[in-house]
Amino acid sequence: MLEFNPILVKELRGRMRGARAFVLLTIYLLILSGVTLMLYAGLAGNIGSDLNAGRQIGKALFLVIAAVALVEVCVITPALTSGSIAGEKERQTYDLLVASLLSPWQIVWGKLASALAFALLLILAVLPVMSLAFLFGGVSAAEVLIALAGLVATAIFYASIGLFWSSVTRSSLGATSFALGTVIMMLLGIPFLVVIFGLVFTRDVSSDLLESAVFIYLSRLFIATHPFIALGVTETQLAAGGSPFFETVPAAGAEVLVPSPWLLYVLLAFLFSALLVSFSVRMLQPTQPAAVPVARGKPGSVRPSEEGSAES
Amino acid sequence: MAAIVETRNLTRSYGANLALDSLDLTIPEGAIFGFIGPNGAGKTTTMRILTTLLQPSSGEAHVAGIPVTKDPRGVRRVVGFMPDFFGVYDSMKSWEYLDFFGRAYGVPNERRGALIGELLELVDLGHKRDDMVMNLSRGMKQRLSLARTMMHDPRLLILDEPASGLDPRARIELRELLKELRALGKTIMISSHILTELAEMCTHIAIIERGRLLAAGHVQDILRDLQPHRSLEVRVLAEAERAEALIRSAPGVLSVRRTSAEPAVGAVERAPANGGAARAEDELVAGAVEPDEPASVTFEVQHEGEPASVTFEVQHEGEMLLVDFGGDERGMAELLALLVSNGVPVARFAEQAGDLEDIFLHVTKGIV
Repeated sequence: MLEFNPILVKELRGRMRGARAFVLLTIYLLILSGVTLMLYAGLAGNIGSDLNAGRQIGKALFLVIAAVALVEVCVITPALTSGSIAGEKERQTYDLLVASLLSPWQIVWGKLASALAFALLLILAVLPVMSLAFLFGGVSAAEVLIALAGLVATAIFYASIGLFWSSVTRSSLGATSFALGTVIMMLLGIPFLVVIFGLVFTRDVSSDLLESAVFIYLSRLFIATHPFIALGVTETQLAAGGSPFFETVPAAGAEVLVPSPWLLYVLLAFLFSALLVSFSVRMLQPTQPAAVPVARGKPGSVRPSEEGSAES
Repeated sequence: MAAIVETRNLTRSYGANLALDSLDLTIPEGAIFGFIGPNGAGKTTTMRILTTLLQPSSGEAHVAGIPVTKDPRGVRRVVGFMPDFFGVYDSMKSWEYLDFFGRAYGVPNERRGALIGELLELVDLGHKRDDMVMNLSRGMKQRLSLARTMMHDPRLLILDEPASGLDPRARIELRELLKELRALGKTIMISSHILTELAEMCTHIAIIERGRLLAAGHVQDILRDLQPHRSLEVRVLAEAERAEALIRSAPGVLSVRRTSAEPAVGAVERAPANGGAARAEDELVAGAVEPDEPASVTFEVQHEGEPASVTFEVQHEGEMLLVDFGGDERGMAELLALLVSNGVPVARFAEQAGDLEDIFLHVTKGIV
């Protein structure tokens, strides 16, 4: 009989036990539905009663719900994984896991999969709220599917960030701080850089460079590392009647065919996730002689979390 | 007996700090192997290398013939490891804890359920099956940890200070459990600071300090070899002086001390000076054994505020001779034969039990 990953079984048992998971899901949905309700109340009063009113409300609801869900996924998923491996070190169960027949890959995969299972639950829980938008119309199936793909890719990517920090640091508090710090840096730093580059390049650089195919690809790739920008740009393109997969950009001489930003984002997210996960796996190998010994505490010592080598 | 653990020139350094220095260690299969050393001596480092958690800087280590650096998975299959701390998960029941590690060691589903029940019974936690692990007492957690190390039926159990922090009852239970495990054919490597306990429990010991092996072997051999001399207790019923002279003349005898044998408590009470009997609540003022009259002991007591004296007569059952003896067991036999053939009524002739703590202090220097 095929056995499930032991870590996955253990984590899911632990995560779904007690009120914590239930409370988190409830708060998450309360925020989402609260925002939706307020938005609807605001829109219903302002939009007139022309034929497109329903479509506009539907579209606005969809965009806002997708954006709020994305924000929540960005914040929650790294927190789900950042405690995973560092938490084992804190509970002093890390050695027991590494000394067992579990491979580092199994440990990392079990941790990631259990966090993703919960993240997927959060994403699926959004769908009923999102379906409100369908009552009003104005939202295409392609938009919904792209939003879902973006949410799932973000969950995997940001969970991997949390996992990476969890494998590097020794305390789950440190791992969570680093993971959320990284997420905030990415979400705020990329738009900031885009603005700076925009200001510098449009003024001083010749249009030849700006219209070269290399520049177009590089700039699109850079923008596509940011989930909000990538998905937002895709949405504008779809609204303008563009293809959901490709766009043609006028460049010097000819037109350049560029994959849609959401597609680039999903690809990049998977690539980065794979890199982060493989690095985490490497961190779980037995300690090499050059490395610092794992900080441990003696049961009788005054501070169990004392740093340094308590070897005996 | 075949060796289950063998290390050759095992060395491990943390930067400039040498934790293990060319350690050559052999543990025979089926032994309870006590690993003794001061804090920071390299015990945990050795154990972590043998459990593949740490890689040696140089040298070799084999567990059940499998090299730890080349085939760590093979080693993990035959080793059960209990670190010197409890790795305990929140929100996990006792059976789930064992179930998880059973899965982690690839114990098939159909065997796991029965095995968990058996192991919980073995460590006497059958009634705590559905209790949360974090709510168990320290001793119970320790026993649960031991059950965990048994989940994959390893040949070698490596237990890092399993008795530390346990109350006496939990400690005795643990000791009994280890004896049971040995009866099941497990080899047990155990580090401890409680040396007297190790001496009772272990078949073999090794003493390590500053990463160097100072002594290793059978407990009795170590006790004999490392003790500078033996202490013999000889009780004679009569002719103590002749016995003393005979013993002094024997080869290998370093010194002889004559003491009173354990007094029988047939004490006779003498009337205090002011009349009235002295009682237990009377305040003891002074007590002395009168040198001229070794068979009696007189105590000055306060009896209802008045001074009084009580003399106890000590009834000897022979005399005790304490002999510091530098010879071997053959020499001991010759000494006894000498006494008996000269007609000395020997009531007791015994070697005082060697104390591992003395040996430990004798061998180690206390430098970390």
